[in-house]
Amino acid sequence: MKRLLAVALGILTAIGGFVDIGDLVTNGLVGSRFGLSLAWATIVGVVGICLFAEMSGRVAAVTGRGTFDLVRERLGPRFGLANLIASFLVTVLTFTAEVGGIALSIELATSVNYLLWVPIAGLAVWLIIWRVKFSMLENVFGLLGLALVVFSIAVWKLNPSWTDLIHQIALPHKPDKEGLLSYFYYAIALFGAAMTPYEVFFFSSGGVEEHWSKQDISTSRINVFIGFPLGGLLSLSIAAGAALVLLPRNIQVDSLAGVGLPVAVAAGKLGLAVAILGFVAATFGAALETGLSCGYTISQYFGWQWGKYVRPRQAARFHLVVLLSVIIAVGGVLTTVNPITVTEYSVVFSAVALPLTYFPILVICNDPDYMQDKVNGRMSNLLGTIFLILVLIAAAAAIPLMLLTKAGQ
Amino acid sequence: MAVARILDLHLHLMDRQVEDRDHRLVCKVDDLELEFDGLGRPYVIAILVGPRAVGPRLGGRLGRWFAAIAARLATPAELLVPRIDFAEVTDIGSAITIARRADELRVAPLEAWVDRHIIDRIPGSTHEGE
Repeated sequence: MKRLLAVALGILTAIGGFVDIGDLVTNGLVGSRFGLSLAWATIVGVVGICLFAEMSGRVAAVTGRGTFDLVRERLGPRFGLANLIASFLVTVLTFTAEVGGIALSIELATSVNYLLWVPIAGLAVWLIIWRVKFSMLENVFGLLGLALVVFSIAVWKLNPSWTDLIHQIALPHKPDKEGLLSYFYYAIALFGAAMTPYEVFFFSSGGVEEHWSKQDISTSRINVFIGFPLGGLLSLSIAAGAALVLLPRNIQVDSLAGVGLPVAVAAGKLGLAVAILGFVAATFGAALETGLSCGYTISQYFGWQWGKYVRPRQAARFHLVVLLSVIIAVGGVLTTVNPITVTEYSVVFSAVALPLTYFPILVICNDPDYMQDKVNGRMSNLLGTIFLILVLIAAAAAIPLMLLTKAGQ
Repeated sequence: MAVARILDLHLHLMDRQVEDRDHRLVCKVDDLELEFDGLGRPYVIAILVGPRAVGPRLGGRLGRWFAAIAARLATPAELLVPRIDFAEVTDIGSAITIARRADELRVAPLEAWVDRHIIDRIPGSTHEGE
């Protein structure tokens, strides 16, 4: 019974924790411009993150090593360092977007300018990382993130033609007013939003924090293979809501309020209140994950003691990196740069940085010296290789498409 | 240590995580020190630690800066690159385990500095981990 509860809790937190500011903004924006004609990109991204997270979770459970520990070992210090710098910058950018997202969400609830909430949000994120138990911070925000189910309820209440929606997903047709390049640019953005690299740093390091062993592999698999697809369903609901309410009225999402608009139309004030709670939980949870990931990546590369499973004094450099990252993220948002713009860039650069971690993890999963009897099976390797190709294509195309479409305008 | 096996320096030692006897993370194997016996056979005698060890392996300007900054910050007592005697190694697995405790080794002067001057001054810095 206790084990069943633990599994259920794991699945629920995986669902609630799946969505972050990148998913919220990108899915809302794409839904309002492209309807569900890009749903395939989210679905492909969700399959990718399942594969990727399962592999890195298995590595953490068998070896007890975090992702960047092994990245350096496999790629050597030189290429590993280049990889670290790129991955760290993308993670800090995502962290900045999440902190901005928290502030924007609270602005929606209070009508107090988001800039005033930024230092408070930063302080709260740091305090929680500093003081709150790892399992606690993971579970609470994951569960609160489930409030985003209100988007699925909203879609249902809008009473759409389901055959039409499924038709749009299964036989994608680009809206005529949108260019082909923008279409593919947003496909990559959705892919990057679903497969953000920090999720893997956090997932594998979290496995080490919670002292996973080989016995935990099956639990981690259940969390990933049930929780993440259901979380992806929330992403699709956000896009579907926007497609049903905003696209016909030519309203383009350019704010968090725009993302929440379909819920307000379909489920009224109370629905919107629940959606805002979901926004706060999703961005706050992701801010904690990205903030910790900033510390995880650097500490693991250099071999420093990291993690919340020891006293802060025993992982001093790790906590210093986290503290500095919070300061950078807060400072970044306080420059008054639009957090929505930061988010849009963060998901595209995530797509660019993906091969840097994806490739080493795939290599390590085939190394019996580390993985003993838990090396990749044929199926994992086949899918893993297909996704490696996809990830490489997305990474190579992202920046040219960004320049050609002026970031999707 | 019952089964003998062949180790590849690059594959099994270089850049591997070093843990102490309580599984605390100590450092990476930033470089190794070899010595040759009378017959010219090489032996690994120490694990070298820190930016001064890894800097030259990084190469380029960044590598030189790494090493130069660490050398500049080192006190006269830390003239040598921090090292762990290879005789202390008890296991070579997904991490390299050594027989002593991390704080006895004194291979991480930056950790000690950050702890003393920053982290220790923040309230709650000694609360239990999980």
